[in-house]
Amino acid sequence: MTQETVLRDEINLTKEEKEVVYKTLNREPTIPEAAMLEVMNSEHCSYKSSRPVLPKLPTEGPRVICGPGEDAGVVDIGDGLALVFKLESHNHPSALDPFNGAATGIGGIIRDILCMGARPIGLLDSFRLGDLSDPHTKWLLKWVTKGVGDYGNCVGISNAGGDIEFDPSFQINCLINVGCFGVMRKDDLALSRATTPGDKLILLGGSTGRDGIGGASFASKNITEDSESDRGAVQIGDPYMKKLIIEATLEAIKAGVVEGLKDLGAAGVTCSISETADAGGTGTEIQLEKIRIREDDMEPWEILVSESQERMFFVVKPDNVKKISKIFDKYELPYEILGEVTDTGKCVVKYRDQTIVDLPAHLLTKPPAADRKATYPKYLNKLNQKWLPKEPKDNELNDICRKIMASDNMISREWVYRQYDTEVGLHSVVKSGQADAGVFRLSEFGTKKGIAVTFDGNSNQCYLDPYNGGAGIMMEACSNVAAVGAEPIAMTDCLNFGNPEHPQVFWTFEKVVEGLADAAKALGVPCVGGNVSFYNHDEVRDVAVKPSPVIFVAGLLDDVEKAVNNSFKSPEEFIILIGDTNTEIGGSEYTKVIHSSDDGQVPKVDFANAKNVLKKVVKAVNEGLVTSSHDISKGGLFVALTEMAMAGNLGFKVGLKRIPADTQRSDIKLFSETHGRFLMTAKQEDMDKLISIFAEDEIPASYIGSVTKEKKLIIENDENQVIVELSIEDIKHVWDTRMEEEMEGKK
Amino acid sequence: MAKFNAEVIIEGKKNARDPEGETIMRDLMIKHGYDMVSSVRSGKILKITLEAKNEKEAEDICWNMVNELRIYNPVAHVCTIKMVK
Repeated sequence: MTQETVLRDEINLTKEEKEVVYKTLNREPTIPEAAMLEVMNSEHCSYKSSRPVLPKLPTEGPRVICGPGEDAGVVDIGDGLALVFKLESHNHPSALDPFNGAATGIGGIIRDILCMGARPIGLLDSFRLGDLSDPHTKWLLKWVTKGVGDYGNCVGISNAGGDIEFDPSFQINCLINVGCFGVMRKDDLALSRATTPGDKLILLGGSTGRDGIGGASFASKNITEDSESDRGAVQIGDPYMKKLIIEATLEAIKAGVVEGLKDLGAAGVTCSISETADAGGTGTEIQLEKIRIREDDMEPWEILVSESQERMFFVVKPDNVKKISKIFDKYELPYEILGEVTDTGKCVVKYRDQTIVDLPAHLLTKPPAADRKATYPKYLNKLNQKWLPKEPKDNELNDICRKIMASDNMISREWVYRQYDTEVGLHSVVKSGQADAGVFRLSEFGTKKGIAVTFDGNSNQCYLDPYNGGAGIMMEACSNVAAVGAEPIAMTDCLNFGNPEHPQVFWTFEKVVEGLADAAKALGVPCVGGNVSFYNHDEVRDVAVKPSPVIFVAGLLDDVEKAVNNSFKSPEEFIILIGDTNTEIGGSEYTKVIHSSDDGQVPKVDFANAKNVLKKVVKAVNEGLVTSSHDISKGGLFVALTEMAMAGNLGFKVGLKRIPADTQRSDIKLFSETHGRFLMTAKQEDMDKLISIFAEDEIPASYIGSVTKEKKLIIENDENQVIVELSIEDIKHVWDTRMEEEMEGKK
Repeated sequence: MAKFNAEVIIEGKKNARDPEGETIMRDLMIKHGYDMVSSVRSGKILKITLEAKNEKEAEDICWNMVNELRIYNPVAHVCTIKMVK
């Protein structure tokens, strides 16, 4: 190859990475090769910081078909069907251009599900933003909501739920995570691999532009200020083209003409030609000028690393090229045959009769891991876990309850989810805002089973106690799906952290993963995939975001009709509390909103009993013994009860005396966020049966009060005196309208 | 105080994709025989009438307004303001 090469000093790789490259190649890389190596060695593509830590997570289980490593996790749900799901971050693009950033996040996550061969049926989204009252936060929230909504609504995939947290640490560097799930027949599984030399490589979909190209260091010296503003243009999604791609891809898979399939996300063509070759033990060779480009003056390296949206990469037998072309033509989708699979173990790219890339596939796909240091963060030394607030007087509790229900993290998210289509496809049984998890029916796939899905995260608890915070969100997410009656079957994570080169940040990463892993093992829920987003650092104030893992747990219902939501159904029904309450208010809404404190004990998961509690909850729901069910999480018992009352437009009367707890304090009983607790309502005649289900395993199931016709929230203390008395209307008004008023102005 | 007319034009950056323009070109124009068309770009135009001391002030007000109210996103869009009669 006689062409311009990149000198050792100019390539943006670490010393170790360079050593591997030069030792393998024995020459200087060409410009396109250097660009490919840089992007594949980036944190985003190589997971170089997280890779040594992630094996702590359990990845095996009887249902697991594909674990981490593929584009999405695949689990067996019986009846010849598999569930495919994935969760991913789109933080940095969304911070700059919230509309297109969030929209292309949705586009990308849909492709991940599709490229396993499944029909995407539901979307979820998680936002982490600064304080709601801040104008920049409002701008971000307005446009990320619109981005998620527009893309999802246009492509015809309904929203199944999500999770929003407001905290000043996300002021500039917001976190926008999106998830998608789909279902397929097990034998339609498509893998990202090219196993047979001679097979053709086909690129389907949109044209290739300079979207999402980070300035490669050696190339940037030629960029004038003027062209800088055009380069690395934001990615723009095209949901209508995506809809055609979904249908064409699924039809091609059904027709049996797809040998391998890969979506083009980060690192674009580079990632596709290298990962399919490496996974299949083959090589790939393409003609670069075959790729349709949108901008005339694109350099070869730019075409190779472009992240233009709406593209899919197919591996097809030569005999089937005609058949697949016919399918693509039917949908009027452009495609081109780029090249073919070889047996060389190399990725070769030719451009205008010249070989411009000739790299071993493994050099791109298996870059060396980074050795990160971890040290105990200083801020944790300042925290006092034994701290307890001064006990409020009984007459202060009404106000405390009002304040908590009106806080950023408690108020209704309806302003967001009402902008999403939650009905399209007719899959949703339990929709956003109706329960702890979204429930989808699978009748289209010929089964009465149902899928329950939830996102969960708790950045405040993960900041104050990374280990217990990490374990806590795992317990919490599994509790979400159990509450609607589904057995949690698998999880996937999205780990959002600051700069991994900062040892104190990396320590929190390690601890969160340990916590997640221990809880996942205790619950028997394997991790089938994930995504890590580092460098979420606010450059303006020089602070990292709080450690913010978000997890996506999927659950399975044997009969979707058995699912319950969280609204009170009729007066006189009994309210049952499952579980013990401990003095665990560290990182709770109560501690944060009322006492503005970082102190206190963060809730710990009871690993020994966690799995059993969930099993019994699922059993109680599936035997039809409960009329509503809700797990107790952010805000504690009071918030959970109030949400059930507001949803059913009925009141409650509850006595704190009946709550098994390690304390007599009313405030702690009301607002502790101890895990593994549920509220259920049952008809009086079902009470004995219900309680005996839990009694079998000595799990506390306590009658704490009743649903009332009178629309009041009444709580009595240990001496049977009324300490909280609020009308639903009073509490609901602010809870219901605050986000809308913040976003749209007062009516 | 006098009345002025301004046209605020918001379009995607030159090299950003424009699915709306592409669709109009591909599925409407070319399909119906106008195959001489090789590019269509969509955008948004706001025709604003406002009061100001002079044209310069009117234009300044418009710029402040589109920036403060974030009527466009400088990361994704190009905004031009023309004062018209």
